[in-house]
Amino acid sequence: MGTVYITQEDAFIGKTDERLHVKFDKKTILDVPLIKIDGVVVLGRATISPAAISELLERHIPLTFLAETGRYLGRLEPEVSKNIFVRKAQWQAAGESVQAIHVVQGFVRGKLKNYRNMLIRRQREFPDLDLAAYITRLEQAIAPIDTTNSINSLRGLEGAGSAAYFSCFHQLIRATEFTFTTRSRRPPTDPVNSLLSFGYSLLRHDIQGAIDIVGFDPYLGYLHCERYGRPALALDLMEEFRPLIVDAVVLSALNKRLLTSAEFVTEPLSHAVSLTWEGRKTFLRLYAQKKQSEFKHPVLGRKCSYQEAFELQARLLAKYLMGEIEKYPPLVLK
Amino acid sequence: MNVVISYDISEDKRRTKIHNILKSYGQWVQYSVFECQLSDTQYAKLRWRLNKLIKPDTDSIRFYFLCACCFGKVERVGGEPLYDDTIFFAECADG
Repeated sequence: MGTVYITQEDAFIGKTDERLHVKFDKKTILDVPLIKIDGVVVLGRATISPAAISELLERHIPLTFLAETGRYLGRLEPEVSKNIFVRKAQWQAAGESVQAIHVVQGFVRGKLKNYRNMLIRRQREFPDLDLAAYITRLEQAIAPIDTTNSINSLRGLEGAGSAAYFSCFHQLIRATEFTFTTRSRRPPTDPVNSLLSFGYSLLRHDIQGAIDIVGFDPYLGYLHCERYGRPALALDLMEEFRPLIVDAVVLSALNKRLLTSAEFVTEPLSHAVSLTWEGRKTFLRLYAQKKQSEFKHPVLGRKCSYQEAFELQARLLAKYLMGEIEKYPPLVLK
Repeated sequence: MNVVISYDISEDKRRTKIHNILKSYGQWVQYSVFECQLSDTQYAKLRWRLNKLIKPDTDSIRFYFLCACCFGKVERVGGEPLYDDTIFFAECADG
């Protein structure tokens, strides 16, 4: 099963027989069986035929729209899962409940531990780096998580940990032509930030898909507060995956020189940096490879890919909220 | 399940139709030969769709099943390479 990325501007997405059919300039540029597809992502503008829309909805294939730069615009969602019990449990835990505090602890712990493990691993690979101070700062943020019982304080710990991580992120980039000072977004104003933002948009498409399958309401989160049109739960569940997938892909793309500064363009007025057409393709391919790569799930003890892990983590969360398991185990990889 | 499907259809119009259906279920590897990786339901649906079309006295369709182990051992010299079905790009060849 794969994701279709429509990178051609002004493409026409149609359907023939049981296949998704993409045309541009009256020529067919893609023709894939719908049974091989589990998501469609449109970058930029595209026309979609009514038949294709209803077929995608029918087959529960989510369709996501991203701006050319990778900014998330919205998605066309199939009917939400009928599992009312999951949603009921999700709503019952809203606010400062015991369960909400527990899962927020899990999200924050997962994210920060993955940050820490990433720094430790880089430190080992490149002994010339001096990351010890940042690792200590991260550990100071991780230590009080389990005894902190207010969601706001947990948000503070998360912020402190992320700040520590991003203040040494520039040291992880081994390519001299790229620098990173601080995280900037809306719009990202340097290549590294633009890759991170693009990666997080792609990750959000995948996590939101997993959440829908399990039957959650994506707009009610615990770590992220509710805001009109913000899929807070998707953002919550993303936390532990950010360093594992997106940051890892960004770093390997830059450090292995798979992307060079020639692949970025700056928009003169807003200084927004985005990828060129070629660069975007390279990055999408790397992201897809990462998603399919396999590892041993530390809790379930079996092999799975990151793509499967999105759904597994969402199911574990559902089980915890419905009281079937004692704890929510965030995905932490060594 | 992994299925190699080959067909011999006497009439052009019907052959095109069958070819078109098969394209929705797997990869076209040679004239009249498809390789498909299907679930039980997908296979059943494909069978049903083909069944409605063919004339059994003049046409023939064969389904050869390969176990996962044998499928991994298939040697392919030349011809269509198997596509990577984890990611699809819709783009124009000349950019």
